[in-house]
Amino acid sequence: MFQVRAHGLGGQGVVTLVTWAAEAAYRVGKHVQAFPFFSAERRGAPVKAYLRMDDKPISLRSQIKKPDILLVISSSVVGLALDEGMGENTKILINADLELAQKLAEHLVRDVCYLDATTIALENGLEVDGMPMVNVPLLGALVSFAKIAPFEVVMDVLDMPARGGNYRSFKNAAKAGYFSVRCTGTEEIAVSEG
Amino acid sequence: MRVLETGNHLVALAVRAAGVEVVPAYPITPQTQVIEKVAELIAGGHMDAEYIPVESEHSACAALIAASLTGARAFSATSAHGLAYMHEMVHFAAGIRAPVVMANINRALGPGWNIWCDHQDSISQRDTGWLQIYVASHQEVIDSVIQGFKITENWSVMLPLMVNLDAFVLSHTYTDAEVPEIEEVREFLPPYKPRWKLDPRFPVTHGSVVYPDDFSETRQSMQIGQNNARRVIKEVCRDYAEVFGRWHGDMVEEYLIDDAEIAIVAMGTLASESRVVVDVLRQEGLRVGLFRIRFFRPFPIEEIRSLGERVKSILVIDRNYSYGMEGAVFTELKGALYGFSNVPVRNLIVGLGGRDVSYELIADMTRKAISGELGEITWGDSRITPSHRVTLECLEEFKKLLG
Repeated sequence: MFQVRAHGLGGQGVVTLVTWAAEAAYRVGKHVQAFPFFSAERRGAPVKAYLRMDDKPISLRSQIKKPDILLVISSSVVGLALDEGMGENTKILINADLELAQKLAEHLVRDVCYLDATTIALENGLEVDGMPMVNVPLLGALVSFAKIAPFEVVMDVLDMPARGGNYRSFKNAAKAGYFSVRCTGTEEIAVSEG
Repeated sequence: MRVLETGNHLVALAVRAAGVEVVPAYPITPQTQVIEKVAELIAGGHMDAEYIPVESEHSACAALIAASLTGARAFSATSAHGLAYMHEMVHFAAGIRAPVVMANINRALGPGWNIWCDHQDSISQRDTGWLQIYVASHQEVIDSVIQGFKITENWSVMLPLMVNLDAFVLSHTYTDAEVPEIEEVREFLPPYKPRWKLDPRFPVTHGSVVYPDDFSETRQSMQIGQNNARRVIKEVCRDYAEVFGRWHGDMVEEYLIDDAEIAIVAMGTLASESRVVVDVLRQEGLRVGLFRIRFFRPFPIEEIRSLGERVKSILVIDRNYSYGMEGAVFTELKGALYGFSNVPVRNLIVGLGGRDVSYELIADMTRKAISGELGEITWGDSRITPSHRVTLECLEEFKKLLG
């Protein structure tokens, strides 16, 4: 069983991102479970969502306190994300640049993996109502970082949503996400092959 | 057809596969997506049915009953306050013997205002005469809707059936599941052929005044239908497994009960979580089993008496409360055991209003039940303080806040 917990803000596409990642895992034959914690939903409010993947049907239904990956989509919810719980082996993947990731790594005394998804989204012109579509590069990042599926599967998942926009932008942003996750404490890119 | 979908959309796909002809409904969170999907399927020409948007849940149930009595296969979906609002017609559907299926997305009743999961809404409909299934997985949602029509339309039953699924945990969670094709289902569940129906060419009244001279008989007839349902449920679930290869239990589902010393009894997705508890505690050498009540109505009396003979103690998890008494499943289970078994039974109240219930918590409570530390009734996840209660101290605190 592999478990992910994602924290972000309403409007960032947190729930959509987790659902897309579930679909990627589903497409390579995994049993999946993707669910948000629903509250009074509004733009800018903290949002959390969960993802489970396994080779066998999943009986667990509770929220995930000790995820394998803690995905932090907005730096403004780092505190909330950490308060919600982590396991000893939880890996942190955050939408941030190197500077912020290093600060967090020093604070937590553990390595932090990061992707500047905001910059990638903006560079590729992925914006909705002024909000960068960080979930497209982060989908690539999560699918590669969690070793869910090869890059082609990411594009299969994004096929329908990308048709509604600029397909090339979606693909470039997802690809940048897939192949540029870095971690503090190493010069290497976390995943370099699809 | 294998799909990745939410529980709500799976209900809609199952309704289409079951060949439902009329769907009157009124949206209420967290059920809304069921109705959205049904409406979308019908509007897109993917489902041959009549969708009736009504002005309230009370009307939804009235239209559901009326559609069924004209000979159509009818379905609706609701939740919590919607179900409470249609309560009068819920009784009516059973009393008039309308073979309908309704999905209820289990949700707490307010106040305090709350959209999350518990079983208070459907437990409060316990005495209406409906058959009630509580499902534990997305796959079981689909299969139960189809089984549901086969059971309710059986002439020896003819009582409406409620498929209860946990809010958010099932309704809004995406997962992979198998939806049977319409053609496959048609053989198992042929189009509904009523033995009689309301027809303007031969006007009759049905569900009209019944004097004291005949009323008891109509009620006893409902109980005969409930009793017959026990047999029909077993037959339908067995046949379903033969045709579709899927088994979720019939009246109940057992997991590692045969050599168990303690049985966890639960309904809905807390039973799914408890499956993990059984695995974890067995690794610790504790002989724990799971006894999932699938049908709360008719209540699995024989199955529970058999359980009472096999285990040394029972822990009943209730995601509801009957105020002034105890958890409803706890009461019912003890009633079934009375005179047959003196096995000690404990009651665990957890998960009200969507409080997250982890397998760790249930495992902890089960260990306490085994060691005899658990009282008769335990509010397992409540952190009550004087400020939650109606006390003079609480009122003083409130006045201070007001200045």
